[in-house]
Amino acid sequence: MPYHEFECSKCIPERKQHAVIKGPGEDLTHALPLGHLNTIPGSISERGCAYCGAKHVIGTPMKDVIHLSHGPTGCTYDTWQTKRYISDNDNFQLKYTFASDVKEKHIVFGAEKVLKQNIIEAFKAFPDIKRMTIYQTCATALIGDDVDAIAEEVMEEMPEVDIFVCNSPGFAGPSQSGGHHKINIAWIKKKVGTVEPKITSDYVINYVGEYNIQGDQEVMLDYFKRMGVQVLSTFTGNGSYDELRAMHRAHLNVLECARSAEYICNELKVKYGIPRLDIEGFGFEPLSSSLRKIGLFFGIEERAQAIIDEETARWKPELDWYKERLKRKKVCLWPGGSKLWHWAHVIHEEMGVEVVSVYTKFGHQGDMEKGIARCEEGALAVDDPNELEGLEAMMTLKPDVIFTGKRPGEVAKKIRVPYLNAHAYHNGPYKGYEGWVRFARDIYNAIYSPIHQLAHLDISKDEIPAGAGFQTAKMLSDLNLSEEVVSSSTLRQYTGKYDSVSSLRTKTYPEFKKKERSE
Amino acid sequence: MEEKKERIAQLEDYIMKKCLWQFHSRAWDRKTQNENILLKATQLLCDEPVELETPLDRCYWADALSLIEGFRSNYKWLAALSKEEIKELMQGLKERIDFVTITGSLNAELTDPRY
Repeated sequence: MPYHEFECSKCIPERKQHAVIKGPGEDLTHALPLGHLNTIPGSISERGCAYCGAKHVIGTPMKDVIHLSHGPTGCTYDTWQTKRYISDNDNFQLKYTFASDVKEKHIVFGAEKVLKQNIIEAFKAFPDIKRMTIYQTCATALIGDDVDAIAEEVMEEMPEVDIFVCNSPGFAGPSQSGGHHKINIAWIKKKVGTVEPKITSDYVINYVGEYNIQGDQEVMLDYFKRMGVQVLSTFTGNGSYDELRAMHRAHLNVLECARSAEYICNELKVKYGIPRLDIEGFGFEPLSSSLRKIGLFFGIEERAQAIIDEETARWKPELDWYKERLKRKKVCLWPGGSKLWHWAHVIHEEMGVEVVSVYTKFGHQGDMEKGIARCEEGALAVDDPNELEGLEAMMTLKPDVIFTGKRPGEVAKKIRVPYLNAHAYHNGPYKGYEGWVRFARDIYNAIYSPIHQLAHLDISKDEIPAGAGFQTAKMLSDLNLSEEVVSSSTLRQYTGKYDSVSSLRTKTYPEFKKKERSE
Repeated sequence: MEEKKERIAQLEDYIMKKCLWQFHSRAWDRKTQNENILLKATQLLCDEPVELETPLDRCYWADALSLIEGFRSNYKWLAALSKEEIKELMQGLKERIDFVTITGSLNAELTDPRY
């Protein structure tokens, strides 16, 4: 597995150890890119900061909370316009964003007073919300504001409120991953075990590392509820502050994004003996296997199997319609962290696409191990790429589509490569059986969009076929398909609704009686 | 010998592509995971009793059962092996998984003393 040196990064020789090509017959012990290190000076990274990782990835998806940044208002930029972790309480955490509005004078004279004023003002402005998280930022961390002391003061004066302080300023790690770590550890140390929950089922889980992107959590909760499993808390998408204080009472931690949330699972295992089961909500087979394993753990595997059978029968013909049209399309799988390994194999197996490259912005070497193990030979794996490397890879590999964030995604468009938003999705949710078909539909639409076909023409030099009629996506995708596939009576395009999530919020579920226990 | 090596490679490929339990973040975690899940998988393949006393045992067992179902449906040759051959094969597999994920791993984070 040779290291790969980008032409554009020859002037930064340290970069060579951050990229490898998966060679034939080689395994992870031959070469592994470095990871989770400080970005090398001269390399313009696509990473976020540790504050962003703590607040904007993990903290803010909690729904019933005032999330306050102790810093300038600019630190609160990421909200409804960039983040899509929705919630079933009218998206309170996305609609409102709070900062202590630190100015130059506060840097000189201290910002604790203004912080306290803002905490009280925010609680008064939203009297129904009694919970708050406060995030330290670079400036206030450097001047040494004691945020914990201020929070304690307020909690003494307002006993009905509870406040969590996260001390993860932007510089507290090489990337957003440092912030994931800090908030995981802070939450278990400060808050877990401070509320006793009501247990309503014999089967109780924490759903961890799930952020309800466009409704992912609600789709998965639907399956768990149909199995009669009580989800005590979700860490953290659509999650409730007080439910997350009661994580210690679950029987099982079900973990999705190990990159951002394995820390709290590991600590819960050590401290409370709660097992960690890594699961996957993406893809028919991995999802089915995950539901089955949860069922096995609790001895209710027949309930899981009933869901698997029903959902597969409903959605598989639609997935296969897209698979026929996506076969052999080249994909660069360039997400932030966990989708690198969640998707690397299953998009190849269930959608027929070829993953020609994987990268991670903030993943650790463990993520690369999983991603490289799962992708096919010949794939280029890159850690913490810079923009020029991304461009060079696209010029060389000529992908049909890339899955990445919106910043590198917009760069890809400039060289006429369509992109799908791997973090916030285009038309998600992507988890669940229906969600996986929605993802396939988005890939199909990205690759075969007639607009993208036109974008490949350069009006300054190419001949424009003015005489040809406009082509639809289906005309383009079906050009080389067999008649049997084109006129199949079993395969069909996505038939779900525009909004696949809202109806779940009013759905009723069968009651599974709790077993009588003799004391 | 070559046949055994080839079969271990097939099972390894299945684990690497379909499972996540072998990639916990620290060497000691990986050791525990590999030991428990592959031991229970071997017991299940050999129709031997499996310990299910604790929640941790049940969790390992769920992963192990899922694993052997995958093995059985993908590798039909497994059905023709005797119990002794299965044990020998699974021991070889365990050594290989330990090597790829622990002893031969280039992941510098594995020996970090804290999570």
